[in-house]
Parts: sequence; structure tokens; C-alpha cells
Amino acid sequence: MYKPNDLVLRTTTSLIAFILLGFAIYLLLAGHNSPGGGFVGGLLTSGAILLMYMAYGMEVVKKIIPINFTLLIPIGLSFAVGTGLGSFIFNVPFLSQTFGYFHLPIFGEIELATAMIFDIGVYFTVVGVMMTIILTIANDQ
Amino acid sequence: MNDLLALTEQILQVSLVICFIGIAASLILLLYQVMIGPTQPDRAVALDTMGINIMALAGLLSISIVTSKLNDVVLLIGILSFLGTLAIAKYLEKGVIIDRNLE
Amino acid sequence: MSNLAVLPIILPLVSAITLIFFNSKVNISRKLTQIFSVISLLVSCYIVWKVFTDGTIILETGAWVAPYGIILVMDSLASLLILTTNLVATVCAFYAPHAGLEKKESYYFYPFFFFLITGVSGAFITGDLFNLFVFFEVLLMASYGLIVLGGGKVQLRESLKYLLINLFSSMLFVTAIAFLYAVVGTVNMAQIGERVQEVEQQGILTTIGILLFFVFATKAALFPLYYWLPKSYIVPNPVISALFGALLTKVGIYSILRVFSLIFVYKLELTHELFIWVAGLSMVFGIIGALSTNNIKLIIAYNIIPAIGFILLGIGTFTIDGISGSIYYLIHDMIIKSVLFLLVGVIVYVAGTSDLRKMGGLIHYYPVLGWLLFISAFVLAGIPPFSGFIGKLLLLKGAFASGHIAIVIIGLLTSLLILYSIMKIFIYGFWGDKQMLGNLEKKSTKGLIAPVAFLLTFSVLLGVGAEFVYPHIDSIAAYILDPQIYIDSVLKE
Repeated sequence: MYKPNDLVLRTTTSLIAFILLGFAIYLLLAGHNSPGGGFVGGLLTSGAILLMYMAYGMEVVKKIIPINFTLLIPIGLSFAVGTGLGSFIFNVPFLSQTFGYFHLPIFGEIELATAMIFDIGVYFTVVGVMMTIILTIANDQ
Repeated sequence: MNDLLALTEQILQVSLVICFIGIAASLILLLYQVMIGPTQPDRAVALDTMGINIMALAGLLSISIVTSKLNDVVLLIGILSFLGTLAIAKYLEKGVIIDRNLE
Repeated sequence: MSNLAVLPIILPLVSAITLIFFNSKVNISRKLTQIFSVISLLVSCYIVWKVFTDGTIILETGAWVAPYGIILVMDSLASLLILTTNLVATVCAFYAPHAGLEKKESYYFYPFFFFLITGVSGAFITGDLFNLFVFFEVLLMASYGLIVLGGGKVQLRESLKYLLINLFSSMLFVTAIAFLYAVVGTVNMAQIGERVQEVEQQGILTTIGILLFFVFATKAALFPLYYWLPKSYIVPNPVISALFGALLTKVGIYSILRVFSLIFVYKLELTHELFIWVAGLSMVFGIIGALSTNNIKLIIAYNIIPAIGFILLGIGTFTIDGISGSIYYLIHDMIIKSVLFLLVGVIVYVAGTSDLRKMGGLIHYYPVLGWLLFISAFVLAGIPPFSGFIGKLLLLKGAFASGHIAIVIIGLLTSLLILYSIMKIFIYGFWGDKQMLGNLEKKSTKGLIAPVAFLLTFSVLLGVGAEFVYPHIDSIAAYILDPQIYIDSVLKE
């Protein structure tokens, strides 16, 4: 049987995929003040997962990442809508946002904003949608 | 001294314009390559090169409008073009992009 | 500041998200849908009460002040339409479990249903032209999902048509907004209104207005852009058709009403004169379509077009009678169109065919169904004292006062033909001997009749209780005719 040589692809994938995931998280966190944000972070994360799928095949990756990507969509949406609903609790106009400076053990003094939670919601939704689309097309034989 | 500074500024501007024109021309030529082929691997290589050209374009743009915000964009385009090329290459070699089961 | 204005958007959105989690459990989904829609209905009742006692509710999201932030304007017109939308949605939610959706229900039917309501409510409330586009997209996305649900070959073909025409008009919509932004430098509707007023709508602004009209006319299915509507509205399940017929086209005509009463009102002889002729042609061609077919679903779908024509006629005359007639007719038509689509759904279900020539004598088995159709035909055509009559009376009064006699005659003739087209269903479908039923089995219509009858009650009440409703509608029309009130309440000058 003809067996293609995937050695280069697989070796580099294990390296590149993690760089991509790191870059995705960086973009997600940078999104508040500079280019980036939940959307592009999610896009890059799904790119990394797609890379793993291409290198290792469907079955293996499903074992490594046992996540139902379709379920990520409503979870992300709940995050995003939840930030809006917070305005009902604190009695401020809908979609108001706030930020503060906190001192965390490792990171030191950083700025945390409620817009971040919304971005995380977008991130999950985008990952969910992208992976659902990709896997649906890939499964369609 | 000021004259020299102004001169370098001018040289930078002129070389930027030349680079933009060069990249634009190469993008057009690459598009032509994508269209005529003649084989699929030729097209794949042309598409990959287009990705590199677009990266260069973003880099030049960040020099031109003096900002460092576009650096992430360059990286991002590079990654996406890498993924695209990989997918095309795998499709050409195996006929599928995501295998059901490799082992 | 009041977060009340955002509730009609946020409640369906939360419901939709919750229902995605319960997607595979159909029974829970059904119950949850009914509970959520009743909650939305009650909330919108409260909002209407609040708006009519305390005046317009304006929400500046994120505490960004008026021309810069995104504004939600819950005025009297929007709140009434929200109430009607939620009424229709509630009835559809109670009808849906019995509508023969079968497996489609577990393919995210209920989430899409609520996303559609989110989009429609958002389009009614928003005070920002770009957000209007965004909510249009939300409701279109949901409608794409609904229209292909469980698709056969025909359904797929029609939904492709639907998708393409809507993508094209959305593209034009963004282009028009970009043009407008380039000229007046804002997308806030109140501020656009103010700035257009300053330059008295010169030159390019009227052109942009007509471009926007073209976009909305495509969504609202006006002549000559209605060709995509009838066939694509009959392919999905009756519940989905009812939602589409009741809500989607009405969002389009509502946008025309909003934009051409607030922004482009300084060249009436150009824009609104055009509307009157488009309205007349829509009536004529719509009713010709309805008369030309024996497919009962298609008859109802074609009947949407003259109704939209009637509403546009009121906007075109731009008098207080015309506008109040339009608003009255808009609300009336949202209710009665969903009643008719749902009723026809029941008829097709019990008769096993949608072809009139193969039906007959159904009244022996289903008397209630027959008389419901009979009443709704009267309501639709505008026989006094039903709601269609009040709306048409006001509309034609407005048209008569502005001297468009030809349109009045066309409108009256169209009404007559609308009555005939629905009566055709009654005569061919329900009259006749028992023998005509053939070997048709009597099917259970349990759960299907009650929601429709409930909705029809409201339609009848709207006509019989006109004495109570009319003053409110009249005050809304006066409010619509004076854009300055809207501008002042949003920009707080």
C-alpha cells in the first residue's frame, strides 16, 4: 500500500500548533487596546486545531481534543450575552463596560476590563462555528 | 544635517513607492500564473507566493503609515497562507484534506 | 436610561441560546419555547403600557451619548409592533408542536425561531441606520436557517433564490448606508434627519433615499421586486411561512415608513409620489397572481403583495389619515397573514393536497376550520366591522384627500378581488357534497385550531374595538408626521 511520508508535517505540527495557540491567546488578550480580539483569536485557534486534524487525522484528534465544538457556540453566546445581562443587575445602561487595575501574583499590575468577558464569548463562538463548518465539510464524503 | 535627514526621508518614500509597484506587478503576474497553471502544483506555488507578497505588502504599509500595529497582521497572514498551502498540498497528494483515520 | 427598551431583543436571544442546549430533547424544547414566548409577550404588554403612559423610552447602550453611541428608541409605533410580533410568535410557538415538523424540530428549529424574533424586534427598536442593517442580517440568517430546514429539491431551489436576492439587497443596503455616511457623516437616524433637514434634502440625498427604498422594497416585496416571494414562502412548513409572511415583509415596509417619515421628507413630490404608483402596481400585480393559481398556499402568499401595497399607499399620501391607516393596516396585516398561513397549513394537512381542484366538502368534517377561514377572509378583505375595513377606510380617505382618485378605485377593486381569492378557497375547498371527500379520512386537528382562533380573536377585536384603538393610532400618526419630536427626544436638545 502506498503510504505517504508525513514525518515532516507531523514533527512541525507539534511545534507550530502550540505557537499558533499561544499567538491566538496573545491576540485575544491584546484585543482590548490594540489590533486583535475574540474573533481573530478564535480564527487562529481553529486554524491550529485544523492543522492538527490535517496532520493526525480525524480519529486521533477527536481523542486528543474530546470537545463537542457545536456546544461551544451556545456557551460562547451565553458569555457574550451574559456581559450584557450584567447591566440589569448593576442597574446601568445595557452593554456598559468598566475596567480596573489589579495586582496579580505572576503578572503584576494589569488592567482587567469587562469587555474581555465579551471577547472570550466571541472567541468560543468563533471556534465553535469554524470547527463545525470545517468538520461538517470534511465529513461530507 | 537637516538636509541629509530630509534626503533620507525622500529616499525612503521613493523606495516605498517602487516596492509597492513591484509587489503589485508581481501579484498580477502571480494571478496570471494561478489562472494558466498549467498543472495544479504550479497554482499551489503561485498561491503560496501570493501569500508572501501580501505579507510584504502589509509590512511596507506599516513602514509607510509609521505604525507597529500591523506587525501582528503580517504574522497572521503568514500563518493563514501557510495553512492554506498545506491544505492544498495535502489535497493534491492524497485527495483528502482531513483523513478519517491515519493509523 | 432604561434597560426596558432592550428586553424585546435580549429575551428572545437568551431563549434561543438556552434552546440550543436542549436541542435534542424535543419535548423540553416545546415547553420552554411556549414559556419563553409567553414571558416575552407579557413583557411587551408591559412595555406598551409603559410607553403609552410615560412616553418614548430611549436607551443609550454603554452610556455613550446620542449621536455617538448605539441608540435604541422604543417609541409608541415600535412598541405596538413589538407587541404584535410577540403575539404572532406566541401563537406560532403553540401551533408548532402539532404542525408536522417532525424531525425538523431537533434541527435547531426553536433556536432559529427565536433568533428570527430577535432580529425582527431589533429592527423595530433600533435608532441607528447601520444597526438596522445588522438586525436585518440577524433575521435573514435565521430565516435562511428556517427556509432550508428539512429541504427537498424544490425547497432547496427556492431557498437559493431567496438567499441570493437577499444577499444582493443587503449588499446594496450597506452601499446606500456608506453613501449616506459619506454625505451626512453619521448613521444615527435622528442626526441624519436633522442634517438632511438643514440642507433641505438636496441633490444626491434624494438619490440615496431612492436607493434605500429599492433595498427595502426588495425585502418588503413591492412591485416590481416581488417575484421571489410567493414561491419561496410556500415551500417551508406552515409555521415558518406564517412567521415569514407576518414578520419579514413587514420589517421592510416598517423601515420604509421610518426612513421616509423621519429622514427623506423634503422632496415629497419625488419620493412619495413614486410610492403611490408603486403601491397601485403592487396591488394590481399581487392580486392578479393570487387569482391566477389554484394552489391555496400560493393564493395566500400572493395576498401579501397587495397588503404591502396598501401600507405603502398610506406612506405615499403622507397625510394623517394615510399614515394612521398604514399603521393600522400594518398591525392588522401582521395578525391576519399569520392566521391565514396557519389556517391554510391546517387545510393542506387535513385535505392532503394544496390543489383546490382536488378538494371539496371539507365543511362536513371540519366546520370550525371552515368558518374560521370565512371570518378571516372577511377580516382580510375589509368587510365592516372587521379591522381590515378601518385600515382601508383611513388609507382611502387619505388617498382621496390628496387627490389620487385612480388609486382609490384600484384599491377598492383590489379589496373586492382579495375577498374573491380567499372565498375561492372556501367555495372550492369547503362547499360541496360529502361524496366529494372521497375516501379522505377524518384527521385530528387537536392543538391546531385553538391558537389560530385565539389570534383571530385579536384581529376581530382590533376591528370591533376600533373606537378604543383608533385614538392611539391617530396620535402615533401625528407623532410620525412630525420628525422633530423623534429628533428632539433622541438628541435631547
